[in-house]
Amino acid sequence: MSLGDYLRLLRARRGGVTPWEIEAATALPKGLYRQMEQRYRAMGDEEAIRILADYYGVPYEELRWRHDWPRKALSRTLFAASLAQRPLTLYLWNGQVVTGKVVWWDLGAVALDTGAAEPLIVQRHAVERWAPRLEDATGEAADDEDAEEAS
Amino acid sequence: MAENLWFLREQKKLSVATLASRAGLPIGLVMEYESGQRSIDRRHLTRLARALYVEESDIKLQSDPRPGAPPLERQPSREAGRPAPAASPSAPPAQPAPAGRKIRERPPRPKAVGRPSLPPRPSQLAHLENLLKRLNKTAAELEAELGKPLAGLDRRALSTVLRDLQAKLKGVPQPVRRRAYLPEAVDEFEARYLAAAQSAGDRLLFTLFDGSTVAGQVVGFSPYSITVRTADGAEVTLNKLALVSYTRPAAAPAQEPTP
Repeated sequence: MSLGDYLRLLRARRGGVTPWEIEAATALPKGLYRQMEQRYRAMGDEEAIRILADYYGVPYEELRWRHDWPRKALSRTLFAASLAQRPLTLYLWNGQVVTGKVVWWDLGAVALDTGAAEPLIVQRHAVERWAPRLEDATGEAADDEDAEEAS
Repeated sequence: MAENLWFLREQKKLSVATLASRAGLPIGLVMEYESGQRSIDRRHLTRLARALYVEESDIKLQSDPRPGAPPLERQPSREAGRPAPAASPSAPPAQPAPAGRKIRERPPRPKAVGRPSLPPRPSQLAHLENLLKRLNKTAAELEAELGKPLAGLDRRALSTVLRDLQAKLKGVPQPVRRRAYLPEAVDEFEARYLAAAQSAGDRLLFTLFDGSTVAGQVVGFSPYSITVRTADGAEVTLNKLALVSYTRPAAAPAQEPTP
């Protein structure tokens, strides 16, 4: 789960407080919180993460490490893995670890050929980390094409 | 039944100015239409109907004058009070200004004061840094070109510098950027998978975040949820946010929701 997804989860647990209310209650610049939640690449800096950790009452590290695993990076890894047809290991939110070749992937899910008779469909928001981790330089250009999440 | 324009306007609680603005017509023209001095032009009728949220047939082309309202008087033209331009021999003499009507003299406009010098914006500095990188230049080289330190530039001066650099950049061949195809705006693959499972009547095994599992036949799905029919015939809608993964179990026995 990327930092954006995790922030959304924390916000939902708070009873759906709005991004504007969070910005008003903290010292975050206008619009940053929404971007941190919705953009696919990593947004915000250390200071912003620290502010949000204080606001939500969660350990700073819990948010910080997720900042290094944005959705866009997962997309790049999935793209490269499906192109090269090499196995990919996904570390899931519930502690499960699955390894397999990417059959298809899209906005919401990844189909992995784990060697079983049928592919395993993993929801992308359940993915916390993955290996091998693609070097950022490989897909640097892809970062510019940042898409806004529809939801 | 068609109504007078003024009646419809008042019914909608609009002023003449608002109606004219909404319809994109001159206010004087709308007043003339309302007073019945002029019948409504066909093209204007469409606009007025749209502005009033009524059908065209609801508006009378020739409004009846409002009872008790004084007849509409046209304001004398502004041109009338102005000195006549060089009169051509054929032109009629200019009308004199009506008696008692003075043309207001405007006081001369105060001279515009120059804007105060503002410090450069952070975005300008970031843009400058980016441009220098792309042009393979250092700040020192740019300072030498400009003949003054960059720190001494205000917002406007830096804007000019940025514009020049941008123009230079157009002449520099840029590396071809190869972008990866990232289908982040589609969810068609999962939808296709679920549609196939639904039409084939397959049973899927879902693993939820809380560790429980649900097995059932897909009876419907949306971008955010999947509805399955379990072995006992009950229909369960699973929110995708609660799901970790799912698969088609190979001849696995049907499983019921477990705590």
